Amino acid sequence: MILWIHHLSAASYLAAGILAGLGLALSAPRLQRLAVWVLAFGAIVHAAGFAALHSGESTPPLTDLPTAVSFMAWAGTTLYLLLLLRLRLSGLVVLVAPAAFIGVFFSELYTPQIRAASEAASGRWPHAHVLLASAGLASLGLAALAGLLFLGEHRRLKAKRPLSVGIRLPSLEALDRGNLGALAIGFPLLTLGVLTGMMWNQAVSGHMWTASAHEVACVMAWAVYAVLAIARFGTGQGAHQAALAAVAGFALLFVAVIGVGILT
Amino acid sequence: MKILLLGLNHRTAPLEVRERLAVDDPAPLLQKLVDCDEIDEAVLFSTCNRVEIVVLTRNLDAARHRVHGFLRRDLPSGGALPPGTDLARHLYEHVDAEAMCHVFRVASALDSMVIGEPQILGQCKEAYRAAAECGACGPILGRLFQNAFATAKRVRTETRVAERPVSVASVAVDLARQIFDHFADKRALLIGAGEMIEMALRKLREDGLESVAVANRTPERAAALAAEIGATAHGLDELPELLVHADVVLASIAGNAPLLDLESVSLALRARRNRPVLVIDIGVPRNVDAAVNELENVYLYDIDDLASVASENAEQRRGETVKAEAIVVEQQQRFDGWFAALRAVPTIQHLRARAESIRAAEVERAISRLAFDESSREGIEHLTRAIVNKLLHAPLSRLRREAGREEGMAYLEAARVLFALDDPQDGGADDAGSDDGSLDQEDGEDRAPAGAPDPE
Repeated sequence: MILWIHHLSAASYLAAGILAGLGLALSAPRLQRLAVWVLAFGAIVHAAGFAALHSGESTPPLTDLPTAVSFMAWAGTTLYLLLLLRLRLSGLVVLVAPAAFIGVFFSELYTPQIRAASEAASGRWPHAHVLLASAGLASLGLAALAGLLFLGEHRRLKAKRPLSVGIRLPSLEALDRGNLGALAIGFPLLTLGVLTGMMWNQAVSGHMWTASAHEVACVMAWAVYAVLAIARFGTGQGAHQAALAAVAGFALLFVAVIGVGILT
Repeated sequence: MKILLLGLNHRTAPLEVRERLAVDDPAPLLQKLVDCDEIDEAVLFSTCNRVEIVVLTRNLDAARHRVHGFLRRDLPSGGALPPGTDLARHLYEHVDAEAMCHVFRVASALDSMVIGEPQILGQCKEAYRAAAECGACGPILGRLFQNAFATAKRVRTETRVAERPVSVASVAVDLARQIFDHFADKRALLIGAGEMIEMALRKLREDGLESVAVANRTPERAAALAAEIGATAHGLDELPELLVHADVVLASIAGNAPLLDLESVSLALRARRNRPVLVIDIGVPRNVDAAVNELENVYLYDIDDLASVASENAEQRRGETVKAEAIVVEQQQRFDGWFAALRAVPTIQHLRARAESIRAAEVERAISRLAFDESSREGIEHLTRAIVNKLLHAPLSRLRREAGREEGMAYLEAARVLFALDDPQDGGADDAGSDDGSLDQEDGEDRAPAGAPDPE
């Protein structure tokens, strides 16, 4: 049942991505709006899947990497839908929906069956760590997507290439605000994720810092984001540089958390 | 007489060439043109997208040579042409029917960067008024332009070309929407004043923009515009400070050197903590140094950049432009008929003068031979004048009509030969009197009754 719910959410994300792509290719804003609704439907179904997982298992296997990635996809989608209430970012669905689909698809590919969490990953700290870090990652991923679209649009406007008639992409200002908002939410969550990870270490090994490859990479990525946040909120960094930083920072974070996690 | 049009526009010449040829005050240049023997009338049309000279001439080759030289030597008021520029490569030339068509298309905004845009007609009227005021535009080019205005009116009322007009101003606002999410907290800076800038501002206002500053060389004009649009007025010396707070800059001010250079905009950008700025420069010559676009958070669009955006507009209006082009051709043919008929005027005048001199001489001769009282004399004058008029009515009407057609020259030529209009020795009243009888006899056979309709 839970698997079918996940299949349905993956199909919804995929459908939203296709609709958004068609909306862009055919210059049809209606398809784009429909894509947002389908994405929202997918997020609700996805949330229902996690709720079912939580009620079915006393210790839901969120600490499993694929499931954590699926949670990231849901968190990113939900944050995007929340940002839509404040900002005109509906055009960003063309990137958010495929990213959400890839996250859920990856999760389904590697966890065809629900597995119970290992003993070491059970308890309060692991779940707090995974929830906070995944939500932080999802938020920073959303900032990177907004940054990516910003860079494309910036380049187009600088090159003075007109948009086709009917295509409505978010304005640079909306993308920059989306980037800023996602960073403002994502960085504190990431910080809490790092701290709860240390607590988890303490609970398991008696040491907060064990200098594992995952820990070193994560702390380095966090440090980079700390610098980016200071630059963004403290020094009046321009929108273009902020977009570049969001994309580069997330690439580093992704490698540090997911890449190193897979390799080790 | 020939109508010659020479010019360049946004399709044939880049902005750096057009801005060198832009003219603020055409009057002295037009005076210089019409002072030349080969040019009878002239109108100079200079906008941000085109510079065109229309002349009326009796010597096409000499006029062409003269206007080419004028464009090369007299017109570059905005500084020397860029090195290596071959001006002839950018120029187009139209003669007579083509020139008429072109003027009509320009006035109807069918040749504009943004098809159907409303500003061009006003600019055409301004060019005509300037030429008429300095005496460079005479009856023929005057009539050409009056017909152009009538054509533009027909195009606007009979087609949908101008419906939902997409002007350079609305393209500028569309660009602003791609950069800014909303305008309520934004500030616009207008440098200079002009219809296009006002239109852009009006559209931004519709989208919520409230804060506007106007900077002009003459503070009084800035104050007048500011009062009209509810903005604050400033002098150009305040530009550095105004730039810091401006999110949208609309520049269109006369001047040969850029007002905003890389350094001044760079300083302002730093002071505004790199918040993005959209700069729309519709001045020709340009008001903003092109290098400003290299700054990361500045989006600079000049008049040529707006062209690529506007070209989509042309595509959407293609169906309507076909109808508009048909109106232009119809109006051009009508004007061409009138223009061609002008060729018959000297021949008709000559023929009338010849007939009148013969009549007057014959009446004088008859009166000197016979004793007539005053009332009889008046009667003879009246009678002979009526005969001459009725005799000439049909051929003159025919000449007028045929002059507008291709074969009209043959009729004019035949009239000149038959009535010996080009032979000064064969036109005197005495000579006419010598073959008076035979001419009367032959003419008498073909004479149409008074008031008879024209055979045609």
